[in-house]
Parts: sequence; structure tokens; C-alpha cells
Amino acid sequence: MERTLFFSGNEAIAHGAVRAGAVFACGYPGTPSTEILETAARLEGIHAQWCVNEKVALETAVGASLAGRRAIVTMKHVGLNVAADPFMTLSLTGVNGGLVIVSADDPGMHSSQNEQDNRAYAKFAKVPMLEPSDSQEAYDFVAEAFALSEEFDTPVLLRSTTRLSHGRGQVIPRVSVVLEPRDYARDISKYVMVPQYARLRNRLVLERFQKLRARAEESSLNVLEAGTADVGIIAAGVAYTYAREAFPKAWFLKLGMSHPLPSRKVARLFQQVARVAVVEELDPFIEEQVRALGLPVVGKEALPADGELDQDIVFRALEPFLSRRPPRRRRPVFPPAPRLADTPQPAAGLPVRPPVLCPGCTHRSVFTALRRHKLAPMGDIGCYTLGALPPLLALDSCLCMGASIGMMAGFNKALGRKAAAAVIGDSTFFHSGVTPLIDAYYNEADGLVVVLDNRTTAMTGHQGHPGTGLRPDRSQGPTVDIKKLCEGIGVRCHTVDANDFGVLDAAIKAEVDAPGLGVVVALAPCVLMVREKAGEILVDDERCNLCGLCLDLGCPALAPAEGTVSVTDVCTGCGLCIEVCRRGALSYAGASGAGAEGAR
Amino acid sequence: MNGTTTVSLVGVGGQGILLAAAILAETASAEGLDVKASEVKGMAQRGGSVLSTVRFGQNVWSPVARHADVVIAMELLEGHRGLGLLVPQGTLVCATTTRIVPGSVLRREEEYPGDLSAAAAARGVRLIAVDAEALAREAGTLRAVNVALLGAASTVLPFAAASWRRGLAAAVPAKILEVNERAFALGRGAVSNEEVGP
Repeated sequence: MERTLFFSGNEAIAHGAVRAGAVFACGYPGTPSTEILETAARLEGIHAQWCVNEKVALETAVGASLAGRRAIVTMKHVGLNVAADPFMTLSLTGVNGGLVIVSADDPGMHSSQNEQDNRAYAKFAKVPMLEPSDSQEAYDFVAEAFALSEEFDTPVLLRSTTRLSHGRGQVIPRVSVVLEPRDYARDISKYVMVPQYARLRNRLVLERFQKLRARAEESSLNVLEAGTADVGIIAAGVAYTYAREAFPKAWFLKLGMSHPLPSRKVARLFQQVARVAVVEELDPFIEEQVRALGLPVVGKEALPADGELDQDIVFRALEPFLSRRPPRRRRPVFPPAPRLADTPQPAAGLPVRPPVLCPGCTHRSVFTALRRHKLAPMGDIGCYTLGALPPLLALDSCLCMGASIGMMAGFNKALGRKAAAAVIGDSTFFHSGVTPLIDAYYNEADGLVVVLDNRTTAMTGHQGHPGTGLRPDRSQGPTVDIKKLCEGIGVRCHTVDANDFGVLDAAIKAEVDAPGLGVVVALAPCVLMVREKAGEILVDDERCNLCGLCLDLGCPALAPAEGTVSVTDVCTGCGLCIEVCRRGALSYAGASGAGAEGAR
Repeated sequence: MNGTTTVSLVGVGGQGILLAAAILAETASAEGLDVKASEVKGMAQRGGSVLSTVRFGQNVWSPVARHADVVIAMELLEGHRGLGLLVPQGTLVCATTTRIVPGSVLRREEEYPGDLSAAAAARGVRLIAVDAEALAREAGTLRAVNVALLGAASTVLPFAAASWRRGLAAAVPAKILEVNERAFALGRGAVSNEEVGP
């Protein structure tokens, strides 16, 4: 077909992503990864953007994936440390559109502060890792990675190293991948990682890993290459090219998918030859797994555990070992599939008692207002995550601290319209919501961010944060004003009293309808810190037809009674039920259209 | 097992389960025993079920145990749930007049369980049913339900009255110590006067 191209590994990854149907690319620059995104920015059919950091980049890519698009996110090895929070839980949620994370490692630290071996992250998160060894594979493996991502519902790590990223080679272009469009559908048990759902997903991850192990055995990415010498070499990435050149007659197990390790293919190599070596840069990642099979292998006792390899180092290091008398043959012991913990069975016939939003909690008001609009609400971590559960069903996602805003931005960017909103607490906003807001502004993402400002870190027991200035000893320190902070960034921001539902509802509606990016700060102190009751709620039994609108608020103070609802003594008198009732059946005691004032 | 006694305290977030557990642990400590305790906090605080476990004996290793010799339940539904935690011939001390109805029951998706004494008898468990709310009210505050119930439970735990006094003083803030001492004494006194099952 087309002419052969001459690409660096990084250029090949970018072209490979477009060929694989990826439409969204983002990352943070870092040697040796930078040119992937720079190349993508010059290509048709893919949106490329720099993000404020790698965590926000990954969360933004997750948003694009959730919207049903294939997304690729690029960073250097230490960047994955910054993105580790979303990365680890992303393994649990899985993906919608395929999601590939490129980690470009830097053995020898040409331009880095450390030399960490990011294959450890694949093991840590139990996700597959692909390691191309030249530009053609870099180009081809991207499509393989996307296919694996969607088939196994997992993010896939694509690991490069300096010599792959910045090395050059011929690339034969391939026919573009034709994709079935994927729609977004709310699935809280998959995307809202509260404990009850995360436990389920975690088991699926463990089962998925066993399936990936089976796939590694049959995958054409892992090739047993016959040789003529009585030695075998296991290698992946550029290390394979060094070993291939140093020992042209050896047998090879070439691992394109270096995690999980195909143990039976390893054992087959041992059946063919007397001596086996593992050639890998940095950690004895493959070597340790081979040793765990009970197979004698030459590795880091011969090859350096730091810095880069090349064919001379590999030859000089292994020649003496491979010419020695072979060890006694041994039978491999394959790792058994791990058992899973017994799941505790709930007591039969007894009602469950899950945690719920407190009566009078103003988060419920925000959710009620937000539910009136067709936006996928990206959630975050705090008490308000409980709003994702029935009956409110008010949040679609919970990935990690501060993920809501980046996910919203990626979702909306990928679809080219304001289709998602973000809901984040005040303490979480300070934790890691500011950087994605800066990012969303810089990248001109559409969106509505609601900051649930209850003036505390409520879920963990009312700790202070920069918005309140409270220190652990309850003394007062300086405070940061969220509205000024947003406006300082350049983002439109309105602060509204979350106790005033009419004002809150109008502010959210105005922002939903407004173009671009806006923040609504829904301000009201946590109801647990407010002792006084705002008023008595009365029910007009004649008017109430038990339609369920108020019961759908999930308020512990409302219960259905015979043909009507009853208000229990845990009611704080917040009055949200009055707002949602369409028949005027609920009212404050002593009020004649004057709201709560008469009852106070 | 191995001379270790396990007491589990169950109820609903906000009922003062952790304080009751702290008093119990301090009391066991005052007896010169080895004590370990554990609880799950966080999400459970928002109206969810809460479980706290206190273990004491000559040498206690693990902070958790699957089964308890005594379960102290601050609420009727949690008392029913607590039956599943008890060893055979164990004792359930339950605030049977306290009902905190969960959302699923309010929405009529599930039913609040009925008679606890029948359920306890069916399992061969000794039930000490206590009107802890009435006792707490009598002591001076409804918030002392937890300590009133602990007072009732003290009748089946092997600790001297002086150790309980030391445990209360060590765990309860000085401002509310007196009312809690009253609640404890009322709970302790109530059991001998009440019908004790099964």
C-alpha cells in the first residue's frame, strides 16, 4: 500500500493511535515522551492537548473514554507517579472507549531524576503492559493495546524507553481500524467506586487478570523464535534488539506483552535449550517471575541492574554464563490461580442499613437541582458520593480525589459539547480540584463545576481545610476564598446559599445554559454542625397523593404512610421536600407563604 | 478462645458505640487484662450500621474476631443482625425499645423485623432486653442510651464495680461524666429487676 515511513518511536505511537481510531490525546511533556503528543497535534482526526499535570491528563482521558471514544495519554515514567491515584482505581472501573497510557521510561537517566522501572505499575494495578521493540511495533502495538483495552475492559500500559522513543526505524502503514461507535450509559456499579461497588469490581479485576494470563499464552505478541544454538533468551522492548544482535543463533522468547508473563511459553523455551537468560534493563522484573516458576535462569547476576544495555554489554555479560555447563533440567511449577475471599452474606431477611446523606444535608438540594438537566454528573470523593446511590442516582462516577473536573472536561471535549458536569466538595476541591479547573480553563473545556462548600471535611469527621482555615487544634489560620480563586484563574464563578433552593436551582440552570466553563459554589455549613432546626414541616394529608417525588430525595426524615407521607423526628426542617412537592402538600408550620421564617 | 472474651458493640452511626467500646476497653484494662479493640469508621458514620469489637484476656493477639461472647446492640434491628455474631450460648444485650428505621423500610421495600426474644430463643441465645431509652431519660439525657445499655451489659461481664468506675472516668469527658455514671448505674440496676431470657 503506502510508502514506507521513517518514524521515531514517539512519532510511530502518535500515528499508530490515529490509525487505531483514537480521537483524543493528552499528556504532560516529559522526556522521552514529549514528541508523541507533539506529533498527534499535527495529525488529522485526533484532538491533542497538553494538560496541567499527568494526573489531570489521565482523568481527562478517562472522561473521553467514558464518553465512548478511544483516548491515549502520554507521560514519562515519573509522570505515572503523579497519575497513580486515578490509575490504580481505573483498573477497577475499566473503560468504555479504549484507553492506552504511554509510560516512557528513561533507563540511564538521560533526562530524569530517577530510573524507576514502570513495569512495576502493570503488576501493581494488574493491567496488561505492551512493550514495542522498534518503530514498526510502536505503531502496530497501539492498535493491539486499544483492542485489548476494550476486550478486557481495562486500561493498557504501553511502555517505551528512551531508545525506542527517540530511536528511528521504518514503518509500514496499516489500514485504519474501523470502530463501532460506543455510547455512554450510566453504570454506577462500574464507575462509582464506593466500597460496596469497589469490592465487586476488585473481584472482577482478579478474574480479568487470570484471563489476561491465558491471553498472554496465546497472543501473537509473545513469540517463541527458533534458533540453532542451545541457549535461549527472554526479552522485551529494546533489550530484545540488543540480545538479538548479540546472540543471533539463540532461541528467543520475544515478549510484546510483558505483563502478565506467559509462563507456559517460558517453559516451552526451557524445553528447547539447555540454558536460558533474561535480558532486561533495570529491575529483574521478568527474571523474578521465571525464577518463581522454579526454572534456572541467568539474569541480573550477569547483566547490570542500572543504566542502559546495548549489544556489547549483553554479549560480554552473558557469553561466559551461556557457555558454562548447563544446569540440571527442572520441571516448572506454574502459579495457581489465587482464591478469592469469601464474601460475607448479609443476614437473611433483615433490612440493610447503608450509609445515607443526613436529613437536611444541602448536597441533596444540589443533586435535586442538577437532576433537572441532562448532564452526566461526574462525582468525587466525600459524603456526597452517597448521592450516587438509589434513590437519588445523582452522580455517575467516583474515581479518585479531584477526578470529577478532569473527567468532565475530557467527556465534554471528546463529544464537543457540554454533556457532563462535575460535583466536588470544598475540601476535595482544595485537595486536587484546582489544577483540573486551571486545565479546563486553559484547554477551553465546556462544563459546569458545582463546589459543595459545606465549610468542612465532613466525611472524615469535620476537619479543617484552606477554605475554613481551621487547624487540627481548632485554632484559626488564614483562609482561601474559592470564588476569588476561580476568578483569579479566569473562570466565571457564582456563590449561592445552598439553603435557598430557588436561588441554587436558578444558578445551576443559568450555568447549564451558559456557554463555556462556569463554577457554582453551593454554600451552606454541614447540617451536622448546625444544631438548630429550621422549622416544622407539616403534611396536608388531603393534598398528598403519595406520588413519591419527596421520597425520591432519599431523606431519612420522610416515610410513606397510609395514602400520605409522614415526617419523622430526625427532620431538620430544611424544606427541600416542600420545594419538590407539586401539590403544595408540604409546608412549614405557622407559615403562610413566608417560608421558614414564621417557624423559627 | 484461649481465655479471650470478645464483646461486639453494634448500632447505628451516631449512637455512641465508640464511646461505649472505649469505656469497656478502659474497664478491662483497669482489671489488669490485655485488651485489643477495633472498629470500622468512615462511611458507616452516615447513618450506616456500625460494629466495634473489644477483646480482653490474659494475652490477646488479634484485634478482630468472627464471633462474640457478648453482643451489645443499641438498636433493635441491629440486635437482630447481632444474633449472627454470637457464639452458641452467647448473650445479647439489646436496647429493644430503640428503633432507627432504615430508608428501605421507610420506602416499604423491606420489613423491619419483629420479636427479638423469639429469634434469640430459636438460636439458643440468652437475651437481656433493656428499655435503655427510658433509663437514659431518667438519668437526664437521651444521649446516654449507650452507657445505660453498657450498665446492663456489665451484669454479664466479669469486672468489679470499681473497675467500671475507673473505665467510665477514663473514657467519658469530665463534663458529661456524672450523667453517664447515673445512666450506667440505672442500667446495671435494671437487669436484676427484669425478666432475663431465654
